[in-house]
Amino acid sequence: MDVQALEEEAQNAIGAAVSADQLETVRVQYLGRNAVLPQALREVRDKETGRTLNEARRRLSEAIDARRDELERDELERRLSEESVDVTLPGTEKARGHLHLITQIRRELEDIFLGLGYEVIDGREVETTYYNFTALNMPTWHPARSPLASLYLDDETVLRTETSPAQIHTMEQRDPPIYMVSLGRVYRRDTPDATHVPIFHQVEGLAIDEGITLADLKGTLRHVMRALFGEDREIRFRTHYFPFTEPSIEPDVSCFLCDGAGCNVCRHSGWIEMGGAGLVDPKLFESVDYDPERVSGFAFGLGLERIAMLRHGLPDLRQLWENDLRLLHQF
Amino acid sequence: MKVPISWLREYVDFEVPLDALADRLAVAAAEVERIVPVGVADEGGNLEHFVTGRVLEASKHPNADRLQLCQVDVGEPDPAQIVCGAWNFSAGATVAVARPGATLPDGMQLKRVKLRGEISEGMILAEDEVALGSEHDGIMLLADDLSPGTPLVDVLPLADHVLEVEVTGNRPDLLSTYGLAREVAALFDTELRPPPGIDPPVGSSEPVPIEIADSGGCPRYIGRAFSGVEIAESPQWLRTRLHRAGMRAISNVVDITNYVMLTFGSPLHAFDLDRLAGRRVGVRRAESGERLRTLDGVERVLSVDDLLIVDGDRAIALAAIMGGEETEVTEATSNVLLEAANFEPVGILKTSERLALRTEGSNRWEKGVDPHQAALAATYASELLVSISGAVLDSTSDVQAALDPAPRTPFRAARASALIGLEIDAQDQRALLQRLGFEFEGPDGAPDGEWTVTVPTWRARDVTREIDLVEEVARVHGLDRVPFTLPQRRELFGRLTQEQRLRRRVEDALVGAGYSEAYTWSLASDDVDPAALRLPVPLSAEHAVLRTTLSAGLVDAAAHNRDVGNHGIALFEVARVYLPSDEGLPDERWHVGGIVEGGYFVAKSAVDLLHDLVRVEPRFERTSQPTLHPGKAARVAAGWLGEVHPSVLDGGWGMFEIDLATLFADVPERTLYEDVITYPAVHQDLAFVVDRQLPAGDLIEAALAAAGPILREARVFDVYEGDQLPGGKKSIALNVSFQSDAGTLSDEDARVLREKIVARLAEQHGAELRA
Repeated sequence: MDVQALEEEAQNAIGAAVSADQLETVRVQYLGRNAVLPQALREVRDKETGRTLNEARRRLSEAIDARRDELERDELERRLSEESVDVTLPGTEKARGHLHLITQIRRELEDIFLGLGYEVIDGREVETTYYNFTALNMPTWHPARSPLASLYLDDETVLRTETSPAQIHTMEQRDPPIYMVSLGRVYRRDTPDATHVPIFHQVEGLAIDEGITLADLKGTLRHVMRALFGEDREIRFRTHYFPFTEPSIEPDVSCFLCDGAGCNVCRHSGWIEMGGAGLVDPKLFESVDYDPERVSGFAFGLGLERIAMLRHGLPDLRQLWENDLRLLHQF
Repeated sequence: MKVPISWLREYVDFEVPLDALADRLAVAAAEVERIVPVGVADEGGNLEHFVTGRVLEASKHPNADRLQLCQVDVGEPDPAQIVCGAWNFSAGATVAVARPGATLPDGMQLKRVKLRGEISEGMILAEDEVALGSEHDGIMLLADDLSPGTPLVDVLPLADHVLEVEVTGNRPDLLSTYGLAREVAALFDTELRPPPGIDPPVGSSEPVPIEIADSGGCPRYIGRAFSGVEIAESPQWLRTRLHRAGMRAISNVVDITNYVMLTFGSPLHAFDLDRLAGRRVGVRRAESGERLRTLDGVERVLSVDDLLIVDGDRAIALAAIMGGEETEVTEATSNVLLEAANFEPVGILKTSERLALRTEGSNRWEKGVDPHQAALAATYASELLVSISGAVLDSTSDVQAALDPAPRTPFRAARASALIGLEIDAQDQRALLQRLGFEFEGPDGAPDGEWTVTVPTWRARDVTREIDLVEEVARVHGLDRVPFTLPQRRELFGRLTQEQRLRRRVEDALVGAGYSEAYTWSLASDDVDPAALRLPVPLSAEHAVLRTTLSAGLVDAAAHNRDVGNHGIALFEVARVYLPSDEGLPDERWHVGGIVEGGYFVAKSAVDLLHDLVRVEPRFERTSQPTLHPGKAARVAAGWLGEVHPSVLDGGWGMFEIDLATLFADVPERTLYEDVITYPAVHQDLAFVVDRQLPAGDLIEAALAAAGPILREARVFDVYEGDQLPGGKKSIALNVSFQSDAGTLSDEDARVLREKIVARLAEQHGAELRA
């Protein structure tokens, strides 16, 4: 028997097999129970021939395995190529929810202040006039106290007109240092229009500690404005008047749209008004028994809707309350 | 407040460009709305085209009945021929002329033209044509001593700028030109000229009696009687100033009171003295129901809080707000009583709010006017009445209660620096405060910068304490010079509470489940709880009651989305409800509510999710409530869920509402590890035949009780009712998993557990294990 010729023939047959079935036929033909080579191996007597035959069988067996792998790989490739899809077809639909834009802004603000080491205090919404007005140094004749401006439940109970009553509660409950923000719904008797809804959202903050300065307020608000509107923002303070702060200021942020060149958003001034702030008027310390010679503080307030309008171009605040999914899904 | 810059410059010099002036004022004093050029454009030599002229001849235009044809000497060798539509002049008049080439404020460019066949070389000007006023009926007549060809800009304020400022409530002193000038002088460290006004000689007549019955409401009343007043139009400069300050010129006397109000911020009023019964005035509160017809022709019904000016027997003015019609100065007036008074602000604010009547006067009074300004105003108005209306000052009297002394306060410069966060030299602080009118006791060089400061009367309401002076120092020294620093922290506590973190997780879980967040109003038209808190004066019919449930708002939101054609509607809200409480303020509770297309089981899946989030096993019990489907409503310890009743919202909606404090009440502070990996679970399916009414939840509860914690999970995977079963029965198929953290369960262990369950279910619920 010419082992070499047989092996060559078998190798050719393996190479020529183009399917698993053909390969199996080849295998049976050359390595099957009744094939020539196994027969010969069974009958072989001398060591030398045995090794030659064995090696030939091993090589053929390996060649068949290799060919099988190759054919399987080819087969897989063919099948996969047949399974090719239009990759631009839509993904499997899965219901998708979105946080409300104001919640997103609220969390962003909370996170900014958490990063500055402030607590988040959820003050109550129905307040006494003491906490909403009197303790904030608003005189009895202050226009905000008018039932034309605020929503009263009775003479002494009002839906909070700002989130600052929480500041008084906090000061009553403990001693400085205090670093807190409170965010949430506030209420004013406004006629709804594009820029007014009687319910809106504020963030108001308070820092009371030894040695708090106007400069600290400036540094803090610049950090907040940069976090909200970009690292290149600058802020400036304009003098203003609020009953609960002295000195009182209004912070402006440099316009993030035109970078100071002048556009409609900043009314061509390069600056955008962002709320109110100032050093806490020592008068507020009287009722909570803080010593103004020992501690000082700053307070500030911003509107969340204002941020939504400025930063996201929201044209009409009433839409925030319509809950139309087409709008909710935008943010 | 609108201030022509030329007027401001009468009292203070400043060299900075106008936009720099505006910027500085905006940052340090008052909001600047804008600074606008007014009048004739001062560019490209435009002003040269405006000159004075003398009319040499004026006759009817040969081809037009309504026009005059004039020859006007404009200072050139040949007179100019000008066609004019006005008839309030004739030959000899001195007039203002715009020559060809001039551009008028409205943009019109004058040329040499032919009008009805006659050449016209320019225009004889009415005040509105050059924005000096609003009058158009006649042309401006100028003083006759002006020689023709004089540049008009030397005679009239043709080109000017107007500064428009919005003043905060604490600075009524800035609602005046002189007050603004004082501020400008302080900010730019320049000279402020003395206030205008020199008292004319006073006659020897008996003063008009003044009787103040309410000196709290009117701490000061200066009354000055004038005779021989000639009522006429005001001179052009006065008309123009008022016009540019935003007020209408009326007649010389009224214009003078307005002009002086704008100068000093202390409003004045002029009465026709001859119409005052008894030629006397008084100040008192109104009687209830008393009536007064004010200048605007409206009959006002007064209340006892309203302050009145009265004469011998009736109300003649609503003090500080508006004069009365009967005693108003008219063309027939020849004797005038000038009132320069002071009124207490809060009462004025109340009256003006109650009557919804806000005037230039009330706007100033309600902020608190310095009573010392009344004297300056009286003096200046007297000077102008004499010089402009030819009047004689007959008598003057000044009735005043003890005016409050100017506040004094200790002031430490070091304290100001410390609070501002910027070291500002003590002497610089002193100097800038002095520029604002604050007076210092103690030597200049007090080494530690500790002084006693007296506040100028015009700031007495706003500045009473050291901290108020700190504000003055900060704003005048420059808020832009304050550095950016951060508080020096010695203690830290910036973290969310567990409740706040859980609230965020609730929101995030629902968002992950496909719900979008809605915001709905805290105020509803009505509420399921009849005790819900109502606004005595609702915002509107739809917004009258503080809600005790989020459901109404969510139903509206879902309906809105359905109506606009949105699909896949799933909404949630995390917000407060307001439960009436016996102890005053309502109990404000955070709720999460949701509404979703697809009915009960879709809602239940969300409720399951929320409980799973906090590792609490909810127990569902059938319930009923009017807004829910009677057969598809359940409650859990923390709230309820169900299918929305079709009469509330049709279409099979699931809805739920959970009280978050209740849901969070049993949340463990930390979740402990359970070994669910090491030893495999044994799963078995068990089907039981039970009464049709038996809730599957009861079956599972019994199974859990029977097997104990080793029964890790029991889940319903099939419910069958039908022919294969006896009537009134159903089959519930459970998939149960047994798992121990102590070892692998043997078949025998599983068999024992299974038999325990079967026995318990049989005993408790008559359940039969199906083969």
